[in-house]
Amino acid sequence: MSFHHGELLLITVNHETVSMEERERYSLDDSQIQTLYRRLHESPDIEESFILNTCNRFELYTKTSDPRNGISIVFQTLQDFYQIEIKEIEKHAATRYGQEAIKHLIEVSAGLRSQITGEAEIFGQVKEAYAMCQDLGYAGKLINRMMQKGFQAVKLIRSATPIGEGQINISNVAVDLSMKIFGALHKTSVLIIGTGDIGEKTAKALRSRGANDFGIASHSSERAEIATHQWGGTPRNLENLKSYLNQYDIVISSTETERPLLDAQKLSEIVEARKNRPLFLIDLGMPRNFDPSCEEMEDVYLYNLDDLAEIAENNLKERRAAIKRSEKIADQKSASIWRMLESRGLVNFQ
Amino acid sequence: MSLLGLEDRQWIFLATVVLAATSVLATYATLRLRRKASRPYTLGLVSFGWILQTLGLYARGLQYGGCPLSNRFELVQFMVWSAIALYIFVGPAFRVSLLGMFTSAFATIFSILSLSFKSWDTSAGAPIFGDSPWIEAHAALALFSYGSFGILALTSAMYLLQSRSLKQKKMGGLFPFLPSIIELTSINLRLLAIGFLILSSSLAIGAVYWSGEISSVDVPKLSATIAVWLAYGFLILLRYRQIISYKQFSWACIAVFAAALISLEAVDSSSGDDVEATPYSPLSSQR
Repeated sequence: MSFHHGELLLITVNHETVSMEERERYSLDDSQIQTLYRRLHESPDIEESFILNTCNRFELYTKTSDPRNGISIVFQTLQDFYQIEIKEIEKHAATRYGQEAIKHLIEVSAGLRSQITGEAEIFGQVKEAYAMCQDLGYAGKLINRMMQKGFQAVKLIRSATPIGEGQINISNVAVDLSMKIFGALHKTSVLIIGTGDIGEKTAKALRSRGANDFGIASHSSERAEIATHQWGGTPRNLENLKSYLNQYDIVISSTETERPLLDAQKLSEIVEARKNRPLFLIDLGMPRNFDPSCEEMEDVYLYNLDDLAEIAENNLKERRAAIKRSEKIADQKSASIWRMLESRGLVNFQ
Repeated sequence: MSLLGLEDRQWIFLATVVLAATSVLATYATLRLRRKASRPYTLGLVSFGWILQTLGLYARGLQYGGCPLSNRFELVQFMVWSAIALYIFVGPAFRVSLLGMFTSAFATIFSILSLSFKSWDTSAGAPIFGDSPWIEAHAALALFSYGSFGILALTSAMYLLQSRSLKQKKMGGLFPFLPSIIELTSINLRLLAIGFLILSSSLAIGAVYWSGEISSVDVPKLSATIAVWLAYGFLILLRYRQIISYKQFSWACIAVFAAALISLEAVDSSSGDDVEATPYSPLSSQR
């Protein structure tokens, strides 16, 4: 094991190193994190530390005054705390030193190491963990500079590469498309046909982006009423679809039906009544709820499950393609952060 | 004529270089780097190009003692100048992504064209509009409306691109960076209204002048200008009565603008070989 730059040590247990079952053993709540911090700092050789604990990772960054023995102290503390043998921890965890640890922090925070490549939630989690570390007083000059400069690097990666761009789940793809048609969604009305899970998720995603006028249609008025109580909106009976369809701009359908609910012929009168206002049909049903002929109509945009899945898949591919460029930025930035730490005498003091 | 050590065409050449660079950079950022060029940077660069162009046109105008609108080169430059002015001063209110990229490309193409054909730039060398500031205002407003219609043609093209991408489910290219189709339709209608209002004002001014001096009117010029005015008026009517779809409306905006450009050519040609003696005015052959 190399101790070069061992004054900054990272131990990480994450989805890349172990299975979910093993990761669960390292999961901590806030009070346990505080206890671990306290135990670590019982050793005079541990000067600073930072713990990141999410559903997918446990990470511990430490600054030690004794680079040769620091790692042993940390592993010993972890063994005592988790009641897991050091050998086992070594098997589960990956270790990084110096600049490599900083690079890892930047990559994790930018979402490069996330299971869903490029997801932004992790950056918020890192910031929260750092705030807690500061509040508890375990972040010193090194951790503070590493985090602040690291955050700048993360922002650069997210703005200079498409790592976080394009939606990668079906509900959010549908919302993005809605915004490409209607712009701001607060003036649009949404009809949800069927009370299934995917319809609910899409409705929630639309609501989170400003849509607030919802109708919920079902074969059963009772089910529509119940869903309305849960999700909000106006209950509608599916039997009278034609009578109210032209009031809605976005129609999400995921109901079981033997024959398509709409085809070009049925839709023509509705489209005429809408006076060229676009209509976005999202068909999440299987078998399909809307006949493909609907697509032929001008001002009607029809997307089915496969279309949305393909867009999500392509967006994911684009994100993955951006990983290499993002890693290069992380490499350059971590090197410059490390040089800065050296120039300030915060590392390389052996 | 020279201004601050540079000839008018040199200023315009520099402006064209800046606009071309803006267009190339914005296109590269969008299509290659997949990043939308930042609006302040694009606006800043286009504004810089526009200032250079203004200096060129001002230098040219000094020799006439008025707006430089005496030949094809000047007509095209003034139309481009108007389109950019509209983008700079009204564009931010529209908040249309990529409008700067499209406008700089539009300006570059027309500016390069006008600089390429030396025969387009036959200077009148004398005051164009005589003593009447009204007829100068009429001509300048008419050209300014063409600038608005030029921007309208661009936003119509953006609408068609966006609508096509959504229909064909092709999410690459410019799709992620273009505004929503509802926003584009609203902007198109506003631009059409602005352009039509300006052209109407121009024609109203021309008509007042014309009624006082009916012999000065050149019939082909009058017919071409009124035809353009009618075409845009008809488009407003068709859209207001919802007779045509937004897609048809967008195609029509592009087609009418192309026709308007051709009509400019016809108008200029109708001045004939005696351009020096009868410089251009969209409505009349005032000199």
